[in-house]
Amino acid sequence: MSYFFNICACLFLVILQTTVMPYLPLLDSFYDPLIPFIVFLGLSRPVRESLPFVFFLGFIMDNLSGTPFGLYITAYFWLFVGVKGITKLLQVRNRLFITTLIVAAGVLIENLIFLGTLTILGPDQQLAGDAAKTVTIQVLWAIWTGPIFMVVLRDVQNRLDDGFRAIYARKGDVS
Amino acid sequence: MVLIVGVFLLIAVNIIVLSVNSRSYSTFGLERVAISFISPFQELVTRTIRFTQDIWYHYFALVTIAKKNDILRSQLNRASEKSNLWQETDLANVRLRNLLNFQKSITELAVAAEVIGKDPSAWFKTVIIDKGKADGLTKGLPVVMPQGIAGQVIEVANHYSKVMLIVDRNSAVDALAQRTRARGVVKGESTDQLRLTYVLRKKDVRVGDIVVSSGLDGIYPKGLRIGMVSEVIEHEADIFHEVFITPFVDFEKLEEVLVVLDVEKHSLVSRK
Repeated sequence: MSYFFNICACLFLVILQTTVMPYLPLLDSFYDPLIPFIVFLGLSRPVRESLPFVFFLGFIMDNLSGTPFGLYITAYFWLFVGVKGITKLLQVRNRLFITTLIVAAGVLIENLIFLGTLTILGPDQQLAGDAAKTVTIQVLWAIWTGPIFMVVLRDVQNRLDDGFRAIYARKGDVS
Repeated sequence: MVLIVGVFLLIAVNIIVLSVNSRSYSTFGLERVAISFISPFQELVTRTIRFTQDIWYHYFALVTIAKKNDILRSQLNRASEKSNLWQETDLANVRLRNLLNFQKSITELAVAAEVIGKDPSAWFKTVIIDKGKADGLTKGLPVVMPQGIAGQVIEVANHYSKVMLIVDRNSAVDALAQRTRARGVVKGESTDQLRLTYVLRKKDVRVGDIVVSSGLDGIYPKGLRIGMVSEVIEHEADIFHEVFITPFVDFEKLEEVLVVLDVEKHSLVSRK
């Protein structure tokens, strides 16, 4: 059931990001909504279950985007590793404030990875000014909406778990 | 017997009551209670039906208007494209080029595609279109719109392709200022502006000049519009102008594009 949820969430977020959000001018400088999902996987799901999705998502995004191939895989993988590392040090699962900070840091890390790659591809003086503005807006969006994503993801996952558990219990009773 | 009499009596009383009631309209309290209870629901249902009807009828009206709008817009696009082609033809006459034939060929050799997805990253500008290998698309084909150049195909799947827009940082188009034929390379900035690089300072480029493709990059056919010069900066120490261009294509509202299939044939036609 976790796999089912993960697949649905992945598809939903990818489609949201690539087909719905570009048509909403307000969300012109919105951050990558898959970052909260990666953070969610890192905080709530075991590595064995999450890692294939991290790579899958990175692969999909790399293919949909004009980025050099592997950039999203890299960003997501290290974000996931970072979150797992933090969970080893801190108890963050139910602390929304820390989770929000992690999402915002994730947005920052992803952008830094992207900008680093862009700088390697071809240094551009104008890029620095544009980047500072875009990254700031994205981080602010992340601080504002990151907790919402996390709460919704956690809630939907719990509801699905409960629903499937009830179905299995009923099946067990019948047999 | 009593029952029969009772039935007849009831019928008679009923007829009398009906005939009396039909002469003067009178109400008791119960009707009002019933009306007060039922009417809100009736109103709700009626309003919902009317609302739905309104939406339905407005929808059809809007569809008709949208269709008309599309027709008018495409006419306008065709007109502006034609106007540009006439200008180009004037210049091409001097060099014995007929851009009108070129336009004829582009419509024959192009495949219309719909934009179905945009780049998830803020730093790169690509789109996904709904045509691919099965429709004859290959890597490197130019993608155009009636307003001007949109980009080039960089990845082809069976039924979908990825297009790098000219505003992408990795894009470059060999271009000319239409008025003075000053040559340069149009580069993307991943913003809503383009930069015309390597234009020598001795060349005359002014704000308002139209920039078209030169055809020398082997990707984009010659004479296609790119944008209008919005800013020219001259540095004392530099041998090149710093030229900024506002593209004619609105990349934020990109919905349908044309992929030019046979550039070589197309170029030959334009050079006849």
